[in-house]
Amino acid sequence: MNRFELLNLLQNTIQDELVICNIGLPSQELYKINDRPNYFYMLGSMGLASSIGLGLSLAVDKKIISIDGDGSVLMNMNTLATIGNRAPANYTLLIIDNGSYGSTGDQKTFTNERTSLKDVAIGSGCQNVIECSGEETNENLQKALVDTNNSYVIISKIKSGNVPIKPIPLNAVTIRDRFRKEIGLVNYL
Amino acid sequence: MKISQKIINNLKSGGADFFLSVPCKLLANMITILENDKDIYYSAIPREEEGMGICAGAYLGNKLPCIMMQNTGIGNSVNSIVSLLQLYQMPVVFLISYRGTPGEPVGAQGGMASVTEDILNTLRIPMLQCNTEKDLDKISTFTNHAKVIESPVAILCNFNLMKED
Repeated sequence: MNRFELLNLLQNTIQDELVICNIGLPSQELYKINDRPNYFYMLGSMGLASSIGLGLSLAVDKKIISIDGDGSVLMNMNTLATIGNRAPANYTLLIIDNGSYGSTGDQKTFTNERTSLKDVAIGSGCQNVIECSGEETNENLQKALVDTNNSYVIISKIKSGNVPIKPIPLNAVTIRDRFRKEIGLVNYL
Repeated sequence: MKISQKIINNLKSGGADFFLSVPCKLLANMITILENDKDIYYSAIPREEEGMGICAGAYLGNKLPCIMMQNTGIGNSVNSIVSLLQLYQMPVVFLISYRGTPGEPVGAQGGMASVTEDILNTLRIPMLQCNTEKDLDKISTFTNHAKVIESPVAILCNFNLMKED
């Protein structure tokens, strides 16, 4: 299973949760599969999907899912320590770990070699850290979403590979405003 | 403590209700005040760039975030300021302890001090310079200004102002 197939599969589980999606191909693929206003697409700032989701989860009660990648988490690894110490129960971090920097040409990341993000997450203080296959991701995400007492970090190990895709045509402020409308903060759209 | 308390009061009266910090000796009193303030959210975090992401998320959830850091933190955060906060037009208040300004005992801080304002100018981030206690009265309006213009703003508190606190 590659990322496109996994993102497609996740559409069975994700309903009205607020989703922060990683920059580049993950957001472009998600947009192509099933664009929704409760999806916040990152157009810049690689590495910060987990952090944006964490900040949002500290501000609202709704369930938040940050969809991140192994390369991006490696770029902002301190995020796991902050999540380990501060993530509220409405926060789930889903790391799609395909062992490669997909958006830049599938160069290998260190998770292909000796680095285990599961071990880093546990060592950083994260609880409910689950490493699973792409096929097992939906059931683990469902488990995280129904649990109102705990935050989760799910690391989904899949194959690298991308599908041909175009940039997202939405501009940043449009993404911002329709997303905030989902939270009830915008009434002019 | 008097100056730190005044800064926090003015940030709060300007609307800031979500605070993060990356530590600095000059911010120590403010951090103590925030740790004991039950009206707002506060956390220490390991790195400024990550803080920009957390602030962005808090803004999406209707907070007016403030990140406290040394001016060195601006250097750590340039891309996240431009391609997250400014791209999506998100208000965030940077409360900056301006290390390397006159009074500073650590010579190595002079380097970032000499480029801090140039970086903020290049990024077109509005700046409020606080050199005296009287300047702190402008913080409340300036904090609200971030929300009005949907942009990050920077409040620079120089060394001598803070060290007397």
